[in-house]
Amino acid sequence: MKNKTAAKITNVQELEARLKQMRAAQEIYAGYSQEQVDQIFRAAAMAACKARIPLARMAVEETGMGVVEDKVIKNHYASEYIYNQYRDTPTCGVIEEDKAGGMRKVAEPIGLIAAVIPTTNPTSTAIFKALLCLKTRNGIMISPHPRAKNCTIEAARIVYNAAVEAGAPENIIGWIDEPSLELTNTVMKECDCILATGGPSMVRAAYSSGKPALGVGAGNTPAIIDSTADIRLAVNSVIHSKTFDNGMICASEQSVIVLSDVYDEVKAEFAARGCYFLKGKEVKKVGGAVIINGSVNAKIVGQSAYKIAQIAGVDVPEKTKILIGEVESTDISEPFAHEKLSPVLAMYRAKDFEDALQKAEALVMEGGPGHTASLFVNTAEKEKMDAHAERMRACRIVINMPSSQGAIGDLYNFRLAPSLTLGCGSWGGNSISHNVGVMDLLNVKTVAERRENMLWMRLPEKIYFKRGCMPVALDELGTVMHKKKCFIVTDSFLYQNGYVRPIEEKLDEMGIRHTCFYDVAPDPTLQCAQEGTRQMTDFGPDVIIALGGGSAMDAAKIMWVMYENPDVNFEDMAMDFMDIRKRIYTFPEMGKKAYFVAIPTSSGTGSEVTPFAIITDKETGTKWPLADYELMPDMAVVDADNMMNQPKSLTSASGIDVMTHAIESYVSIMASDMTEGISLQATKLVFDYLPSAYINGANDPQAREHMALASTLAGEAFANAFLGVNHSMAHKLGAYHHIPHGVANALLLTYVMRYNANPAPAKMGTFPQYAYPHTLERYCDIARYNGLVGKDDQKTFDLLIKKLEELKKTIGIPASIREWGVSEEDFLATLDEMTENAFNDQCTGANPRYPLMSEIRELYLMAYYGRDTKEAAAL
Amino acid sequence: MANRQIIEETSNKTVYKEGDRIVKEFKPSHPKSNVFNEAYIHACVEEAGVSVPHIISVAPSADGGWALAMEYVEGTTLQQMMDDAPDKKEEYIEKLVDIQTEVCTHKVPKLRNTRYKMEDVISGMTEIDATARYELLQRIHGMKRHTRLCHGDFVPSNVVIRGDGSYCILDWAHATSGNAGADAAITYMRFSLQDPELAELYLKTYCRKADMALQYVQSWLPIVAAAQLTKHVPGEKDLLEQWVSVAEYQ
Repeated sequence: MKNKTAAKITNVQELEARLKQMRAAQEIYAGYSQEQVDQIFRAAAMAACKARIPLARMAVEETGMGVVEDKVIKNHYASEYIYNQYRDTPTCGVIEEDKAGGMRKVAEPIGLIAAVIPTTNPTSTAIFKALLCLKTRNGIMISPHPRAKNCTIEAARIVYNAAVEAGAPENIIGWIDEPSLELTNTVMKECDCILATGGPSMVRAAYSSGKPALGVGAGNTPAIIDSTADIRLAVNSVIHSKTFDNGMICASEQSVIVLSDVYDEVKAEFAARGCYFLKGKEVKKVGGAVIINGSVNAKIVGQSAYKIAQIAGVDVPEKTKILIGEVESTDISEPFAHEKLSPVLAMYRAKDFEDALQKAEALVMEGGPGHTASLFVNTAEKEKMDAHAERMRACRIVINMPSSQGAIGDLYNFRLAPSLTLGCGSWGGNSISHNVGVMDLLNVKTVAERRENMLWMRLPEKIYFKRGCMPVALDELGTVMHKKKCFIVTDSFLYQNGYVRPIEEKLDEMGIRHTCFYDVAPDPTLQCAQEGTRQMTDFGPDVIIALGGGSAMDAAKIMWVMYENPDVNFEDMAMDFMDIRKRIYTFPEMGKKAYFVAIPTSSGTGSEVTPFAIITDKETGTKWPLADYELMPDMAVVDADNMMNQPKSLTSASGIDVMTHAIESYVSIMASDMTEGISLQATKLVFDYLPSAYINGANDPQAREHMALASTLAGEAFANAFLGVNHSMAHKLGAYHHIPHGVANALLLTYVMRYNANPAPAKMGTFPQYAYPHTLERYCDIARYNGLVGKDDQKTFDLLIKKLEELKKTIGIPASIREWGVSEEDFLATLDEMTENAFNDQCTGANPRYPLMSEIRELYLMAYYGRDTKEAAAL
Repeated sequence: MANRQIIEETSNKTVYKEGDRIVKEFKPSHPKSNVFNEAYIHACVEEAGVSVPHIISVAPSADGGWALAMEYVEGTTLQQMMDDAPDKKEEYIEKLVDIQTEVCTHKVPKLRNTRYKMEDVISGMTEIDATARYELLQRIHGMKRHTRLCHGDFVPSNVVIRGDGSYCILDWAHATSGNAGADAAITYMRFSLQDPELAELYLKTYCRKADMALQYVQSWLPIVAAAQLTKHVPGEKDLLEQWVSVAEYQ
């Protein structure tokens, strides 16, 4: 095969020149297809695999460490297992696609990788890293250790030649011929990412180079042999692992911690298999020879047990597999407690499993934080395995396997990825805690297309409407649902004026037992709801009927929540959300105990079809606005017969509230085809029937009925499309200055509309369906639906504003907040607080303009003084 | 000239007492820059407020070399005190560590950094092979960047205790700004070469009092041992080579 090697690199200039060539090569390689890359990856793996024996021999000869036959396995593993693991892994271009979700992941190479190679596993690590880089279209500059430079370079050369032969650009792999710290540091500074395998100093240097680094740390694996373990399997696994390449794998067992009751058996098995237990002074001699000033003696690294014994001046049989020192201390003052990089093992006696865990914990943290911990146990002992996994600060926990071969993956467990670079997490000062693989060497771009947010339409299971529908609806409770006990919630006015009687009569007729709670006051309190819940709990209903305006329905919803789920926390339930379907709090499931029927007696809130309720804690003054589809009534009964005798003020205030619901839900950023038609029809019904309902009351039952439906329709729309800043401001204006909710809405309505209609708002609302500011056009839809057509949009909009002003006047809404009777002094004193609270209101999020607080403040002032609404258009 | 009292004579200098001053007279072969450098370091430390003999002059000597004159400090060195009262070893080691940790609290940024000085020494040495140098340099490179005042040869013979109990530190030629762990490693090494038992006592006391991890001091030992090898002191080679020849955990 043609040798592709270029000029040697022995100094910084030569290195810089080569890095430049390599960058150019990598840029070309970055354009290769997956198919081309896979061919190169295969050819390179094949070549490395073929050269496994000469490379192993070279490594042992050059470094004077390890065992040829074991290094053959490492080279074989680094080529075959890595190829097998990643042969079908997509690493070029689109690697993942979700067409429906509009998301693609695109893999790009990182660029030039600096690879620092250790002396302990030189050829296998070089093969491993070079193959990973070829598969990911990266260039790789290899920095060998001076003690292993020839074999490392030879391994790199073999992979490189095969890659180029298979079509890779020349210079895609490079290496330093005469390693020095200066060159290593230069490579680390100039590359795009560092793959650092080696000792802590080198890994620290990599992390402090300023370039992203995948550095990995030292290990000090303790193996616990539990009383329930298969002793023969355990001991022979440890021997197999500890003797592998003379103990140079970083995950190799450094100590065994044996439970007292099997200690002798374990010891006998070790001895029978050719391990030597150091006696008396021999322990100290070997300890002193292996560890010098807390570091491992370079002369014993990767040597055989016999040779180490000789160095220590201890006589052992030549074929001794492992030297074992029985010691007690896990402190670093004990040489055997260290990583020994050789077939020398510490053995501890543990009095119980807890003692074993403590010893293992100490050993991991002293010498190999984050690396590997091993346990031999009967796998039926789930508790012990769980305790071990929980307590060890190790990123690989291996059970019943030789830890050297186990931790590198794919040999004794096939879900642990094969790798020769093992991350130790933050415990080991590393950026990664897994076995390094191809995904670590890619930049993955996520291509995300704009998608619309999912929406749904939520309504009560049944909405009965038309005059006289109430008895029919109630009939279903008995004849179809076979309900037994009914709890009625209403206010004292309705109760005393006989509104409850028809319901009770119908229930009696069907044999449904019933009771009535009629203490609900306007702005219902938590205390009232708690009392109702107490009575409800005593009574144990399977159906709840809420009869009344917003207050009674809200109070009944709250009682329902507390009756079904006595342990709920209002603070959690009232937590504001950006998207009701992504909220942190999961609302408790409702309906397990009782079916909820809402019967409105005024046409305004729409609460019979909305998932909202508001309750005030009398003691703290806190208002808890609750919103969740679990609060949606099961059945709504909209029977205008219940609404005929509403007082005028209520007709006016609740009627204009309906209009505000309809308009705000129509321009909301969450409005959709499902809600828009409903909103429009509601505006029309209000324009057409509110004046007569206000003026004629019960004398125009048709107007009453249309207003009842308008209220429910608007409720359906805003239950799904939500409201806007008009409501946010009205909530606070009403609360601070005791203005009925509907009136507060009306006082602000035309200002907010002018404000929202601005085609170039300071900020628009955030929602994928909301493409650009278009609120003026939306208002014009409403105008045209109501027969108002100007010569352009602005004129059409003006006509709508004018018609609204006329409607307000007709139904007796004052011209300004001041006119309503709020003193200037009081208003200004509360203005800033009101502004901030209105901004923070749950309704603000759906407004088509994302309001600035200064804008809200200005709107309040305009509405207070009754200034020309056109001023709001300039905001 | 008559009342010169010679204290020490080495291959490159003669130290004598003359009246109330101590004079270090260097041979003409000793580089002028070394003499001025020693005076500079000494002056920096003096300015930082550490108790040291005051520098009086750097002047040419009669034979063409340079002489460094400083104030003579009345008192007894800790070494003498330890020799005189071997049973009080522990007490004196405690004292030594107390003074060393106190000195290390000073910052003298004008001095050379310990890491760079060690890098230069190791890079230039021929006593060990390139691979060993590579590993030591990598070890130095991985050390944290500290800026504490390190004496560089903090041994009992360099600590004078005056009659009133106050102390004064001598011989600042090797001082650097850097890692206290390296300073402790040098002291430990100097003890180990003389009296291993005392060395262990020192290290234990130091780590306890300075609240420093034993491993951290130990991690400097191969480096300071290599630097010491360059001095070719008879009888030190075996131990130092053993200390240098260690591998890092992997």
